[in-house]
Amino acid sequence: MHTIRVKINGKDYEDEVEPRLLLVHYLRDKVHLTGTHVGCDTGNCGACTIFLNGKPVKSCNMLAVQANGAELTTIEGLARDGLHPIQNAFLDKFAIQCGYCTPGMVLSALALLQSNPKPTEDEIREAIEGNICMCTGYQQIVDAITHAADLMGQSRS
Amino acid sequence: MLNFDEIFVTRNYFGKPVRRNADTRFVKGEGSYVDDLQMDCVYAGYVRSPHAHARLGKIDTSKAEALKGVLAVMTGPEVAAVTQPVGARAITRPARQHVMATGKVRYVGEPVVIVVAEDRYILEDALDLVEVEYEPLPVVVELDDAMKEGAPLIFEEAGSNVLLHDTLTHGDIEGAFRQADVVVKEQFRVQRYSSTPLETWAIIAKHDKGTDSYVVWANDQQPGRSIVNISNALGIPVNKLRLIVPDSGGGFGIKLALWPYVVSQCLVARKVNKPVKWIQTRREHLLAGTHTPDCIVDLELALKKDGKVLGLRMKDRQNDGSFVHTAGIYNLIKFANIVGCYDIKATRAEMMSIVTNKAPTVQNRGVGKPVMIFTLERLMHRAALQLGLDPAEIRLRNFVQPEQMPHTTPSGEIYESGNYPECLRKALSQVGYKELKGQQATLRKQGTYIGVGLSASIEPGTSNLGYYYTSRGTPEYMGNAEGAIVSMDYDGNVNVLLGSVEEGQGHQTAVSQVVADMLAITPDRVTMNSQMDSLISPFLGHSGCYANRFNDVDMGAVIMATKKVRDKVLKIAAHKLGVTEGELRLRAGAVCSATDEGKSVSFKDIATLAYKQILLLPAGMEPGLKEVAYYKNEIAKLPNKENFNVQMTHGNSLHAVVVEVDVETGMIRFRKYVIVHDCGRQINPGIVDGMAIGSTVHGIGAVLLEEFLYDENGQILTTSFVDYMKPLAVGLPRFELSHVESPCPTSLLGTKAVGEGGAIGSLAAIANAVEDALTPFGVKVTSLPITPEKVLRAIRETKVI
Repeated sequence: MHTIRVKINGKDYEDEVEPRLLLVHYLRDKVHLTGTHVGCDTGNCGACTIFLNGKPVKSCNMLAVQANGAELTTIEGLARDGLHPIQNAFLDKFAIQCGYCTPGMVLSALALLQSNPKPTEDEIREAIEGNICMCTGYQQIVDAITHAADLMGQSRS
Repeated sequence: MLNFDEIFVTRNYFGKPVRRNADTRFVKGEGSYVDDLQMDCVYAGYVRSPHAHARLGKIDTSKAEALKGVLAVMTGPEVAAVTQPVGARAITRPARQHVMATGKVRYVGEPVVIVVAEDRYILEDALDLVEVEYEPLPVVVELDDAMKEGAPLIFEEAGSNVLLHDTLTHGDIEGAFRQADVVVKEQFRVQRYSSTPLETWAIIAKHDKGTDSYVVWANDQQPGRSIVNISNALGIPVNKLRLIVPDSGGGFGIKLALWPYVVSQCLVARKVNKPVKWIQTRREHLLAGTHTPDCIVDLELALKKDGKVLGLRMKDRQNDGSFVHTAGIYNLIKFANIVGCYDIKATRAEMMSIVTNKAPTVQNRGVGKPVMIFTLERLMHRAALQLGLDPAEIRLRNFVQPEQMPHTTPSGEIYESGNYPECLRKALSQVGYKELKGQQATLRKQGTYIGVGLSASIEPGTSNLGYYYTSRGTPEYMGNAEGAIVSMDYDGNVNVLLGSVEEGQGHQTAVSQVVADMLAITPDRVTMNSQMDSLISPFLGHSGCYANRFNDVDMGAVIMATKKVRDKVLKIAAHKLGVTEGELRLRAGAVCSATDEGKSVSFKDIATLAYKQILLLPAGMEPGLKEVAYYKNEIAKLPNKENFNVQMTHGNSLHAVVVEVDVETGMIRFRKYVIVHDCGRQINPGIVDGMAIGSTVHGIGAVLLEEFLYDENGQILTTSFVDYMKPLAVGLPRFELSHVESPCPTSLLGTKAVGEGGAIGSLAAIANAVEDALTPFGVKVTSLPITPEKVLRAIRETKVI
């Protein structure tokens, strides 16, 4: 067993974990943050996307011990009060159906908009290439991210 | 039937893109899927067969049982000894199968041993410690092998690998082919694929010692039937099983078949006296978590010179793998949609459901209709070229015309509404059909190969469940219906309980829109259960999320129950205000006099009378404001082979696709994708658009990317999303979607099927476009998927994809 210390959504955690425990299972089963989902086990679908030290990672492809000392943000930590503009945009544009890919999709969108506040449609499609949605056919998700860029632009100005 | 205008008091929300606020939890990561439920669970998993066909020998579980943290182990033969076999629906030959392997294994991935351990990781260790002896048997993988004389039998007791073989003839088929000027025919092969919901199968089973009963949480798509199947298999009365379906991460039909796993989970839950959780891995899902059947379809059209189709013959051989419960279903649904959007008077369908050592099959989005429309629309394209007609023109000449509605097909399917020519004309204009045909020749000279493909598809909804049994006697289930409970609470707010479940279609929002407009309130005053619970939900054997039935029977039940509540509210208000009911109007959460607005009573005050001040209710009236209604679609016929209807609403769509084929790489790129969709009236266009586009992308996956591949030993080669490729955001077109509205006269709201259409129509549209693009190379498309490798080989050598 190893001791890990992590900060998740602004809160400090210290836990004993097996070296083989996946980060996603640590988040879901130990910390009970169940918004991070498992969809494929092979890093293809992106449902387990979280932020680790400010960068998006797939938490099913990392061990919990590798996150020792890191600062993590999961979907639950995206908005302290109410909804983040990306979350609002997903609702406005019907970018959710079953909701299972949504947390990962929203966080990938956030990663994009942090580095590119006004992305083109092609840039959006490339940015979410590592996230699979089985329901929507992506079009309303792309529209939601465009809309989110507008909403975030407005709130900055 | 309740008139459309009698349903609504206001029209503020019906038909509008009302935001899915009820699903805000999903964007916050607060959904409540099975694996999210906070219970003190232990974990179950399965040792699965590495062989496609083998006799089961000794199973040694001692090492696994000795591992610290392992709580229970049960072998397939032990499970079989205490359970009833799986029931078959459509097949006519005897085939005995249990929920886990016993005696022999029939596919790679078949569950052989179930193990329960304290956590997911110990479980994986334990699964590795189970030793199973197998005596390999000859393997049958492909259809051609399964039908050979002396082929190894998958089910010995059946005496054949063909478990259903039936021929249905309607109309004068011999006459049609005799009178034909031209016969166009082709053999098509369609691969195994699946819609692979992002959340895999998930089950928690708990046994309660005190009552000797089970509680199961599962993402089951048809709980009304599953609860019967599970209790039958366990040999317990249904009142000993409570089934709860929380949020589900997509279904597409694939979650209709998880109930056999519930059976083995219940047995081990009984042993360990703790909730047992099983979360299927993606590998397990792709390996054995069910596929569409692969098939070989021979189709022939008999045509006059002017393009009029006189008759159609089909021979359908379907590889149903090795799951007797669903074998044969796809055959029957293909048959039911054999004439597509066309007025064809004679049909013959020879159908064979064939078992092999491939994985089980289950209803996947569209169920058979994608293949039926693919083959029919490929042949319509071919026929047009052969007769020197434009592919659009031949369709216009054969469509069932709007003035023919309701139209009965030769076998008895009733097309109640639709305007197929209008959809086609709209699509042609939107895609710029004439201009494209002109550009095509010019571009070819420059080495750019574009093609235009059309596909007209029927999109049926609300299955008449009796169709499964056309092959064998009285149906166990027939027709289709749903139940709803609607109540107005102390605050005058409304709560709805449906017997059905949802897989992400926004049912709560759609229901809140309709109820709000029936009661003149805002949708935020309407809540709906987000989970089905067999203890409290008003379910029927039909209850579930499948066959495009929500906006017909589910909404029907909600409307009828809401109407009962509304009638009672009006009676109480009339009594309270001392006026007649006819003088009353609903307005903003209150009932008031039409002539004197000062005379008004709020829903909250009415609820106070109904629940608390019951002595002030009209004489003889029951207290409370909770009503239950069950609603069935009335047009279902009792099935017989001469005249039966498989589906009860009929949407349709027209896909017009422009592709560019890179003849150097074999890659296919979309230049334009037009969809004209007719689902009658829409409850929420934002939801409808997502369904139409999402299902089209399922079709695109099937046409271009997805295939479950097997080697000659029956080993599946595609067990992760690395090998089994799904459509991604990159590479897809921007869909241009528009609608034609032909209200359905047989559903209360005029709504009809939404959600499967794209998965049905896209296959042929894209294949037709690819063949059109490759005309200079003489390449024909007869199989799916159309991969770059196959495109290149066809261009360079074979001329056939």
